[in-house]
Amino acid sequence: MDNSICQVYEDEIQSLEEEIKLLAEKYEESQQESTFFSDEEILMSIKSFQREFQGQSKGHESPSDLKAQLESLETDLSFLMKFTGIQFTSHSKKTVEKTTNRTVRKHRLSGNCHSLSFQLEFQLLEMQNKETVSAVITDLSIIMESGEDSDVSKFVSSTEEHGNLLTFFRSLSSYAEWYEHRRCTFLHFK
Amino acid sequence: GVFAHLEMLEARAHEAAVKQEETEQQEEKLARLKARVQELRLQRDELRAKVDLQQKGQLGKEGVVSDPAQPSARAVLEWKIKSVKAMLQVFYLTGISGKLTKRGVCFCISTAYEGTYLDSYHLDLLTKAEVQIHRHSVPIFIPLEQIAKKYLQTDIRRFLSVLSDHLNAYAGRRYQADQLQGRFSNRIEGTLQRNSLCNLLVFNYNVSSKSKTFPFNARLLYGDLCCSLPTEVTVSCTPDAPASLAEMAAAHSDLFRRVALHKAFCSFSSAEESVD
Repeated sequence: MDNSICQVYEDEIQSLEEEIKLLAEKYEESQQESTFFSDEEILMSIKSFQREFQGQSKGHESPSDLKAQLESLETDLSFLMKFTGIQFTSHSKKTVEKTTNRTVRKHRLSGNCHSLSFQLEFQLLEMQNKETVSAVITDLSIIMESGEDSDVSKFVSSTEEHGNLLTFFRSLSSYAEWYEHRRCTFLHFK
Repeated sequence: GVFAHLEMLEARAHEAAVKQEETEQQEEKLARLKARVQELRLQRDELRAKVDLQQKGQLGKEGVVSDPAQPSARAVLEWKIKSVKAMLQVFYLTGISGKLTKRGVCFCISTAYEGTYLDSYHLDLLTKAEVQIHRHSVPIFIPLEQIAKKYLQTDIRRFLSVLSDHLNAYAGRRYQADQLQGRFSNRIEGTLQRNSLCNLLVFNYNVSSKSKTFPFNARLLYGDLCCSLPTEVTVSCTPDAPASLAEMAAAHSDLFRRVALHKAFCSFSSAEESVD
């Protein structure tokens, strides 16, 4: 009889802990998504952080740790962009829905692949089931610079209809390489 | 007599003391749990209020109503780190992502069927001398060695692209078979037979015509490993079936060659519903 009261408290503790975790994540994400700092602001912050920190040893990471982390991430990113030929110029996301098992985010992405530029918007639904996380794209909308080309627009509509984001990028990559190759060849013969 | 009686009294006293301690411990535990619940409720309510304010756009960067133009340098850096991480995660959606390692690169090939992302596969490459595959999670029935032999040394991009074609086609075939088994199990008779590469499927399914059901057998061979549509399809019905059914079998055979398996079955269901 006492045990059941204990159980009620323990259940409430667990549900409160989950709710707190979710709210904290929501708050963090919303902060992240609604902020923007330019590259100059970033550089200034790195310098000012290093000055502030001199002589202090808090429990946090030092400025050199954070700086090193940032550099490593940026090196990976610039490698990927160079290797795949896909250069992202801007990215923003907004969390539209968030529960314990399900997150829906709206993404806006623009960039170019060799000389072809694109602008995308899509919703990404992520669901946690046991050990796996599943990801599904919906509401895909693509704007391509060379959108007047009928082949390109056919490709774009079919991709949008099926949410084929992966195919879009893979095809874009090979099309852009071919387009670039053709352009270079053409220039060569001019 | 007396001694035994004394022993018994001692035992009873001991029992009572133990029980008393248990009760006290239980009460302490209850009190602790109750206090924890209060504490968490308070925390939750504070967070809720914070999130609400944030939604209304009144909150500064530090979680306190402050001048939004004065975030701390650390906060700015942390923002940038999260932002770059998010950009790296977007690469996952493009099909090829990865990170540099001390001795080379670790690539991640993601697969998807239309808008649904499926399994991803890793390749740890060493690039200091000649390119070598140090470790990978590519399934054994994918011809990795063949593809590597052809492209790995001369064009890593091409190597990954061809490998990605194989993996995505395999993932697409497997997805269709899983969808068929999952969503149309009532139409499938017996088990759906498939090989690990999912490029050979054999199954029996039911077709209704004029309120009668007929068994069909389908055999799908996917000759092109980079394709998720079959190259050879055989649909057969029982020898004593009416001629109209033979026509239907031929139509199905053609459909399976052009349309994804689970979508073909979707169209059967809606066609039948509209007839009945």
